[in-house]
Amino acid sequence: MSEAICLTIGHLFPDLLNLYGDRGNLLALKNRLIWRGMEAEVVEITKDDPVELAKMDIVFLGGGSDREQRLVCERLRTMRQDFRSYVDEDGVLAAVCGGYQLLGSYYQLGEEKIPGLELLDIYTKTGEGRLIGNVVLESNFTGKKEMVVGFENHGGRTFTGEYEPFGSVICGYGNNAEDHKEGVLYRNVLGTYLHGPLLPKNPTIADELLRRALARKYGRAIALEPLDDTLEQEAHDYAVKRFSQK
Amino acid sequence: MNENHRFCTGRMIVNLNRFRLFLAVAACKIAIWGSKLLGKKGSSMPGQLALKIYPGVLRDLAAQVKREIIVVCGTNGKTTTNNLLYSFLASRGYSVVCNKVGANMLYGVCCAFAADASVFGKLDADFACMEVDEASCVKVFAHMKPNKMILTNLFRDQLDRYGEIDITVDYLKRALALVPDTELILNGDDPLVAQFGENTKRKCYYMGVDEDVGVSLNETKEGRFCVMCGERLEYEYYHYSQLGKFHCPSCGFARRALDFRVSGVSLCDGLEFQLEYQGHIVPFDVHYRGFYNIYNIVLSYAAAVLAAGEIPDYAGVLARYQPQIGRMEEFQIGKKIVLNLSKNPAGFNQAISTVGKDERPKDILIAINDNAQDGKDISWIWDVDFERMNGIGVRNFIVSGIRADDLALRMKYAGIEQERMTKAYGLKEAAQALASGGGEIGYALVNYTAVFRMQDILKELEKEAENLE
Repeated sequence: MSEAICLTIGHLFPDLLNLYGDRGNLLALKNRLIWRGMEAEVVEITKDDPVELAKMDIVFLGGGSDREQRLVCERLRTMRQDFRSYVDEDGVLAAVCGGYQLLGSYYQLGEEKIPGLELLDIYTKTGEGRLIGNVVLESNFTGKKEMVVGFENHGGRTFTGEYEPFGSVICGYGNNAEDHKEGVLYRNVLGTYLHGPLLPKNPTIADELLRRALARKYGRAIALEPLDDTLEQEAHDYAVKRFSQK
Repeated sequence: MNENHRFCTGRMIVNLNRFRLFLAVAACKIAIWGSKLLGKKGSSMPGQLALKIYPGVLRDLAAQVKREIIVVCGTNGKTTTNNLLYSFLASRGYSVVCNKVGANMLYGVCCAFAADASVFGKLDADFACMEVDEASCVKVFAHMKPNKMILTNLFRDQLDRYGEIDITVDYLKRALALVPDTELILNGDDPLVAQFGENTKRKCYYMGVDEDVGVSLNETKEGRFCVMCGERLEYEYYHYSQLGKFHCPSCGFARRALDFRVSGVSLCDGLEFQLEYQGHIVPFDVHYRGFYNIYNIVLSYAAAVLAAGEIPDYAGVLARYQPQIGRMEEFQIGKKIVLNLSKNPAGFNQAISTVGKDERPKDILIAINDNAQDGKDISWIWDVDFERMNGIGVRNFIVSGIRADDLALRMKYAGIEQERMTKAYGLKEAAQALASGGGEIGYALVNYTAVFRMQDILKELEKEAENLE
């Protein structure tokens, strides 16, 4: 009897970074394992809990308001080295919205400069007005071209330099409303402004994160059986159809 | 010569303004009448027109209120609270201006005043009670200074319009800075609301539920960290969302002593509780459901007694009160159908709690639109505890509205089996499915722009059902 296949998913600071349906992303990761007869352990790590990143297979960093982000920032900075090793060892990290901004060097918020985790050489600064609306991307994240749908709502503009973006913007603003790029990819790190939430409606993205985490943990490719994604596909296709034809 | 000239100019300006007030009010009335003829519910355009003709129209009309202007603000419960306040004051024989239909931005407020004024711009009102949208307070307060302001609660709502809840708080801070003498009547159980009573010289009154009623859920909570210092708030008990008896272990920010203290709450059949304030003990026993209505009732009652003294017929007012469209509004279509407006996680979770208290087998319809007034971002549906709809005797689920596809997926994750779920894009089709479902009662929980259409449909179906009998 082989042991059941199981991933440990760490949800960082749900008490602080919990805006915009992040819960849906966690549910998608967890359920898409369980629906395939695998196991998932979701560990909710609050601000004052100790964090052992080395025990995580997927780390999820959600969105928060500017005020909450300031609170979380100091806490994150104390674990910078751990994060660095986790990422260098191909740990899977999904960061959405505020969490995405924190991956970079800093977030220039008017006069104030909030230092980031410095995992990636990217930075964010506030701009005039918030970038809000439905988004459709074309993404190569899974290895083939796919449409990704979501919703963005951010005051910060993120500049990602030479990194590969998560996708190119078909509809919406993306990282900074200038370069038509959305999000960032680096090793197994996915940073994006898309909530909505991202993963339930883009099951191939969820599966890609799971696939990478499984390969890393078990040292071999583990096949993910296809699931009945009819409802997922309908919600996804509706958004693509409605928003990409503007 | 010079003096005289200046005097004349002054009088001309006064006369000119009176003339412009007359024009503005007259134009507003004609526009209201015109849009009624066209069958529109809109009360924004006429107000906009009036302000364009004479920017001082709201200021001049509001200045004629004899006693007090009371503003109701907060995410949920504004309309109910404001309309109850209106009814309490009217029961004392006062004449009251009120934006009853809930048009709560600058133009809507202006329109409500103009509608009640004579065509010459004369307003005969003892009180004005106005619900004002959180983001519009800054604009409205530039025209009129309320004597009192009720703040009901602050939840996530329409995030794409306001950005973040912190932005809403900033809007309110900026608005309150314009009116340093306005007294506040605050929901003391909500730390996000109670913060407005800290570090201020203005008079503040707090109301709250001073016991653990046991209605708390495990739901996404806003503002779990102290707004003063950032430390995690501790709670002796929660009521719902971030409402409860809180304190900050670090800086001492805590729920204040309650000026209007609710206790002895029973939710078995309607709402029963007692209210203690200023040496009085007043029992309440109403037929409406929903724990959250305690806040609406007590905040409006508190404002009424503070502004006008005792309200002898308060129980009669509450018994006669007709809830606004889609506030647990009932229809008979073969079985009882209850329509409720639910437009954000806090509202939905409260509605689900209320539905769960009903032990009959039931059908549930949920409809979400994403029009501008609803908020284009619907990701909040993942923060609603739809999981709690399992095990409360639901026969059929119907998902509908513009974002029916998103709801269907959410329901899948909530563990609702596909066999029990119907996706009906059209609201009428959905309403029919609800009426013909296998339950003894049907609940329709729908968001803002869906509620008006749904009410029309349910009325229509009710009429058809009557004719069949």
